[in-house]
Amino acid sequence: MASAPSKLYQDDVSLVVALLDTNPFFWAAASLPFSEFLHHVIPFINSLLLLNQLNRVVLIATGTSSCGYIFDSGDGNASGNSNAVCSGIIKKLEDFVGKDSKIGKGSNGDGTRPAISSLLSGSLSLALCYIQRIFRSGTRHPQPRILCLQGSPDGPEQYVAVMNSIFSAQRLMIPIDSCIVGAQHSAFLQQASYITGGVYLKPQQLDGLFQFLAAVFATDLHSRNFLRLPKPAGVDFRASCFCHKKTIDMGYVCSVCLSIFCKYHKKCSTCGSEFNQAAPDSTIPDQKH
Amino acid sequence: MPQVRIVARNFMDMVAALPAAKLDKLYDSSFICEAVLRSLPPLAKKYVLQMLFLDSPLMAKSMEEWVLPDGLSKHKVAIDRLLQLRVFMEVNDRKKEPSYKMNQKFQSNMQKYLTTGGTVPREPMPLNAAVRLPSVGELETYAMEQWECFLLQLINSSQVDKSTSFSSSMMRAFQRGLLNSSRDNEAPRLTENGFQFLLMETNAQLWYIIREYISSAEERGMDPTDLISFLLELSFHTLGEAYSVNTLTEVQRLAIKDLADLGLVKYLQGRKEGLFMPTKLATNLSVSLSDASSRKEGFVVVETNFRMYAYSTSRLHCEILRLFSRIEYQLPNLIVGAITKESLYNAFENGITAEQIVSFLQQNAHPRVAEKMPSVPENVTDQIRLWEADRNRVEMTPSHLYEDFPSKDLFEACCDFARDYGCLLWQDTKKMRLIVKGELHQQMRDFLRGQR
Repeated sequence: MASAPSKLYQDDVSLVVALLDTNPFFWAAASLPFSEFLHHVIPFINSLLLLNQLNRVVLIATGTSSCGYIFDSGDGNASGNSNAVCSGIIKKLEDFVGKDSKIGKGSNGDGTRPAISSLLSGSLSLALCYIQRIFRSGTRHPQPRILCLQGSPDGPEQYVAVMNSIFSAQRLMIPIDSCIVGAQHSAFLQQASYITGGVYLKPQQLDGLFQFLAAVFATDLHSRNFLRLPKPAGVDFRASCFCHKKTIDMGYVCSVCLSIFCKYHKKCSTCGSEFNQAAPDSTIPDQKH
Repeated sequence: MPQVRIVARNFMDMVAALPAAKLDKLYDSSFICEAVLRSLPPLAKKYVLQMLFLDSPLMAKSMEEWVLPDGLSKHKVAIDRLLQLRVFMEVNDRKKEPSYKMNQKFQSNMQKYLTTGGTVPREPMPLNAAVRLPSVGELETYAMEQWECFLLQLINSSQVDKSTSFSSSMMRAFQRGLLNSSRDNEAPRLTENGFQFLLMETNAQLWYIIREYISSAEERGMDPTDLISFLLELSFHTLGEAYSVNTLTEVQRLAIKDLADLGLVKYLQGRKEGLFMPTKLATNLSVSLSDASSRKEGFVVVETNFRMYAYSTSRLHCEILRLFSRIEYQLPNLIVGAITKESLYNAFENGITAEQIVSFLQQNAHPRVAEKMPSVPENVTDQIRLWEADRNRVEMTPSHLYEDFPSKDLFEACCDFARDYGCLLWQDTKKMRLIVKGELHQQMRDFLRGQR
């Protein structure tokens, strides 16, 4: 699939919406402690704001059951003393993680779902809504892009929502950059960066995270036409089935709405069209989505 | 053809032209480092960020690998700029391979900024009920009024109601290059550069005036380095806050009065001391010139029948529009005009190009039409360009005419000779006449002598 063409901007004013993964299950077991991680991210945000007076940065935290806005540099009170801003961000993150774990415990009862993945689809949607609001605010706006700092593994149950967000971003011509701070690659984000024309990177050394961020993810969209940026060796295009949310390589596809199933169904659960072909093996009762 | 385009980025060129010692001294202040960083081309900014935490020099060849092949020219421009401003220093190792290292002071200042964040140059005054501070809107109107008044005085001293307090020698210094007095008893006329200046953006005009101001500063006993650092610091103050004049040095105090006349700051008398408030013109000083958001709202609507409606009350706008259009009526809030062939020919005579007129119209398009694509109708822009091309219908090439050839063979030989060099312009075989480009004349004579 061809990547989305980037608009030809002459200046380098950018709006970066950064999605921070705050999944406590991941950070408890990660090699880089969360505080160290913030020590790399906050100077990176400062550097983005330094590059151009009109640059804007928005931080969105991706939790396990919810997402929330942490920081918006476009607020009037964000300029000035940066120490206050920094401690403000940390306090908001702590509040957010506390609220998020309460929501997680509440909806799951005693936590039957292990919740190892974070709600990427939610934060992508929040980011896209914010950018859409910026687009509607007038003719002169900075060029937006989304930066995902992801560590937790992909949750196959979010496949449909994430793919929908990716296609919306592609239509709005918003590149999605991904920086993986976890141990494994993320198929969703590889596809996201490939489809929207962003950069996907898994840094080999997490101690130098700031250098990776500054060298690769701080470039504005206009300069990207002239720079050699990292390209992934291969993109994992695997999908997950709609019925069991398992990652599959081969499966059945509805010819009307292109939904993917791992086992044969008599009727498509998404669009309701009936397949009147004889089943190759024993029939499986169709499941309501 | 207009000779030199006024490129207002010259302010940074002026900074780059300072002697190395003074430039290094300037980098003591972290605000200047920030301002210089923000003025760099985007690729250069990225390089600075990448090299910020590296201690050892990096080879120039490895830097070239960062760009794609069609980015090499931009890469060179960026590296040149960084070297000019002494942000990057060249280090030659034993192998004679050039490598670059970042300026020590610049690097430490920027590192501090990133880890601890920026600070303001001076603290604003606490709110004092005795002095009523103007609101941000009032500041903006004040700034615009002052700036327009200054510009009007610049172009035509007779037209202003109140003149600024600049001395006539200062005004003459500003006008140098923009106006020339053709005759002593006539009012000075705008030169080509003057017209281009008027059609530029406010930010660009501001930089040009400041550049002239700083160049003439030495004659008035002010150190240009101090002025430059003060101006760059000014852009980091907060809009709408008042600062005490007592925190300024002597030089800066002298400069503040001039800057107030230009509309960059508003000078107030507080209870015990003078206060100054930076306006939007000052805080936008460090914004890069190619930025779109610093422009004010447009006011011109151009229709497909070549009529133009400008919703403005400013006399400056009227003068600018008069440069290339015929103003028909002036109503209390509206200027009605038409773009005609005569008015455009007038503009072209004065050295304005069609591109400048079109970009002026596009940049100042009224918000109602600015969202439409295109904001200025294509038939108008095409016609402006066609009328400009009308003036270039005849192209002149210096050449020589050869006639009275004794024989046809000689004529053919000369034609072939000229054609081989690509200098044959015209030939008439029947009358045996030949026109050849002037640069070949000497060789043609030698050839003919050789043939005889």
